[in-house]
Amino acid sequence: MTKILLVEDNEMNRDMLSRRLSRNGFEVLIAVNGQEGVDLALAERPALILMDMSLPVLDGWEATRRVKADPSTAAIPVIALTAHAMAKDREDAVAAGCDDFDTKPVELPRLMGKIKALLGMED
Amino acid sequence: MAMEEAKKPKGADDSREARLLRATLENMAQGVAMYDAEHRLVTWNQLFREYLDMPEEFLGSEHTFEDYIRYLGERGEFGEVDIEQTLAKRIAQLKTSHRFERIRPDGTVLEVRRDPVPGGGFIAIYTDITERKQAEIKLREDEERFRAIDAAAPVGLVIVDADDHTVLHLNPSFCELVGKQADEVLGQPLDDVLHDPANGDALVAIVDARSSERKEFQFIRPDGTTRWTMVSQVPLDFRGEKAVICSFVDISDRVQAEQQLREAKEAAESASRVKSAFLANMSHELRTPLNAIIGYSEILSEDAADEGNTAMVADLDKIQSAGKHLLGLINDILDLSKIEAGRMDVYLEQVFLNRMVDEVKTIVGPMMQKNANQLVVDCPVDIGTLRTDLTKLKQSLINLLSNAAKFTKEGTVTLRISRDAMPDGSSAIRFDVADSGIGMSEEQMGRLFQAFTQADSSTTRNFGGTGLGLTITKHFVAMLGGTIAVASEPGRGSTFTIELPVDAKGLPAEAGEVGEVEIVDPGAPAQAGAITVLVVDDDPVVHEVLAATLGKEGYLLRHARDGGEALAIMRKEPPDIVTLDVMMPKIDGWSVLGIMKSEPELEHIPVIMLTIVDDRTLGYSLGASEYMTKPIDRQRLIALIHKFAPGHEDGTVLVVDDDPEVRALVRATIEDVGLAVADAENGQAALDWLEEHHPPALVLLDLMMPVMDGFTFLEKVRALPKFTELPIVVLTAKELTTSERDFLARNTLLILSKSAQPIGTLGSALAAIAGKGAGSVAAGGRAPSDSRS
Repeated sequence: MTKILLVEDNEMNRDMLSRRLSRNGFEVLIAVNGQEGVDLALAERPALILMDMSLPVLDGWEATRRVKADPSTAAIPVIALTAHAMAKDREDAVAAGCDDFDTKPVELPRLMGKIKALLGMED
Repeated sequence: MAMEEAKKPKGADDSREARLLRATLENMAQGVAMYDAEHRLVTWNQLFREYLDMPEEFLGSEHTFEDYIRYLGERGEFGEVDIEQTLAKRIAQLKTSHRFERIRPDGTVLEVRRDPVPGGGFIAIYTDITERKQAEIKLREDEERFRAIDAAAPVGLVIVDADDHTVLHLNPSFCELVGKQADEVLGQPLDDVLHDPANGDALVAIVDARSSERKEFQFIRPDGTTRWTMVSQVPLDFRGEKAVICSFVDISDRVQAEQQLREAKEAAESASRVKSAFLANMSHELRTPLNAIIGYSEILSEDAADEGNTAMVADLDKIQSAGKHLLGLINDILDLSKIEAGRMDVYLEQVFLNRMVDEVKTIVGPMMQKNANQLVVDCPVDIGTLRTDLTKLKQSLINLLSNAAKFTKEGTVTLRISRDAMPDGSSAIRFDVADSGIGMSEEQMGRLFQAFTQADSSTTRNFGGTGLGLTITKHFVAMLGGTIAVASEPGRGSTFTIELPVDAKGLPAEAGEVGEVEIVDPGAPAQAGAITVLVVDDDPVVHEVLAATLGKEGYLLRHARDGGEALAIMRKEPPDIVTLDVMMPKIDGWSVLGIMKSEPELEHIPVIMLTIVDDRTLGYSLGASEYMTKPIDRQRLIALIHKFAPGHEDGTVLVVDDDPEVRALVRATIEDVGLAVADAENGQAALDWLEEHHPPALVLLDLMMPVMDGFTFLEKVRALPKFTELPIVVLTAKELTTSERDFLARNTLLILSKSAQPIGTLGSALAAIAGKGAGSVAAGGRAPSDSRS
């Protein structure tokens, strides 16, 4: 099963998204802050990371930067999840090395489209 | 001459004395008549006759003074009077010298003087004083007029001496204005009369001003109240002295009204800012639980669908759609409040229209299906790009399309995109959103773009929506320098048209755009090979320190005092390295960094943050290469600049090969060892690439290529002074002749044969040749910035 790492500190968001991803046939790994996210990425090498940006301990931008700086995890696509639909957030996410981004609240079909595109899966 | 024609006075004798007397009389500037004791006319001159317009038959001693008066009286010379009374009065007067003025019917004013002569009789002398009289009348009228104006003018008028400003004259309004009596002011210097310590010599300057420009002047009256006036002055001569007349118009009411307005406006703005901050916070608080409502209802709906519980699916979908509707409202209200508070920022970027249209299509697809509408997109494949705010453009189009979908049933919604011109003639992109829906009347269209107003108040009930979409769209379009228009007829559908400039760069700064900034930096002189460092800091001391420190090291310094200026300089002529302060006016360092990293021409420029703000994490996450805190450690700065100077950086390998497969393979193996790769498909393309980029760490060169082969490339590139030392490695499948081998040996580092070894094994060897740090490559290092972690 394809592993997706979800880094999200909000419990409800985490719960909803992980359940729906599981339903769509992914194995979902959970991290509740940026540091856990980086550690889990290194340990588990997921196929894709969904990264919230405002995270405790280590924020999403920094976590992404670290994931992208490590050769062993650099190739893992990261989708930034931001609460704001501002171009600035998008720029920041891309600058940090995110491969794509999506705004919260998550619209599952849209997010699934982005996940599948990055994973090269057929729709 | 008139004398000859005139009748000679009767009884005139021709003695010498008589002729002399006659000549004298005729030369007088007055009319003269002499009468004897019996009041008979003895002699007269021509002017007498003219002045009185006396007929010839009366000119002679057979007529008396009384005859003349009666005659003149009958002729109406004295107006409507009783002749006999007048005559009696005249005759009574003759006993003594007397004079009087008489106005003749033709308006001539005569001064008449009659004097008795010794031995009886009298002499009458007539002087024409018409001109003098008129001048006197005019003067009196002028004076009356002036007095009236002076007294009645609602303007304070004061005439002062041009030299010492002593008050020479003032009008009642001036007294009233300054709150002093005329005698307190007259003779005093005006500057003392209106002295206000807060004003200094403002009044002196106004009075002495040579221009007639009106100036504002305020002073405090003795009663403590402040008066604002508009003063103008005109030089004049007054009583023969040089003087200045100043007029003071009291504008206190206006100024106070303006002040109240300003205060009211500030209060309103402040309230609006508080409101928008509140809304921004609230919206987050509102959205968080709403997300849970929407999300969980979605999950439950999916669960219910799995279990085949269709009734529950329908109910859950209602919760979900109501939640989404509420979220839409919250977002719209937040957007509008941000716009109204002037906090909506504009981020310009190059927008690929075809790509954007695809995204818009995906988003509006479900909306179209709801009312069984067909979406037709008419967008030429070669429509190209425009520079604008992608998010706002997309949202505007989605707003228009979702409206079209809402008000159309089983019809067609068309999105048409074309190139057009703005009213000023500049290039524009035109977006038409046309529907075959219910349309609108003129009156409905008039209200269309107002907040909280839909074409029909029942619309919200029937069609949903906040009625904010069009208002927001109109604001967005204006922010992007464009226009929006609508054409519609009831029952005939509507067409909304947005026109946007191809390049929105000329936007006013308050729209939040990175304003076009005048570049004060003179630009780098054409100094071959010098490495340019752009110093971005609002503190002049930093510029001086860096100019001294880095100038000594041979770097070419360029200077920007704020973010806007920095970006303008960079876009015009990208520097090799940027040092960037964070806290600057207008656009701060973080924003500059973010913008740089989003622009393809700027993103590769290494940025060294140089700031008192110690937020490395943010700096690195935004893409800074290095982070230094002030005070500046000069040695470390020099070391860092050296490190990022072109030629020192971990280089790019330029792969020149006509075979795309070889290029891909080489790219993969080189990238594996952490080096960047650029490629070119022939010698000419490689030369072009070198022209536009920093010298690469290494060129990997094939020999047999179309357009320009490897040998020609080598000849040409080595002929350029800056490339004589460029490291070049040949990778070829060609069998080389001796002379070819000699030529290559002189011009390249190494010759590798494509057949001798698998290309996939070349990576680390090339990395080693590329110079800097085979070690760091082995350690998995990637980019220069990695030294920080």
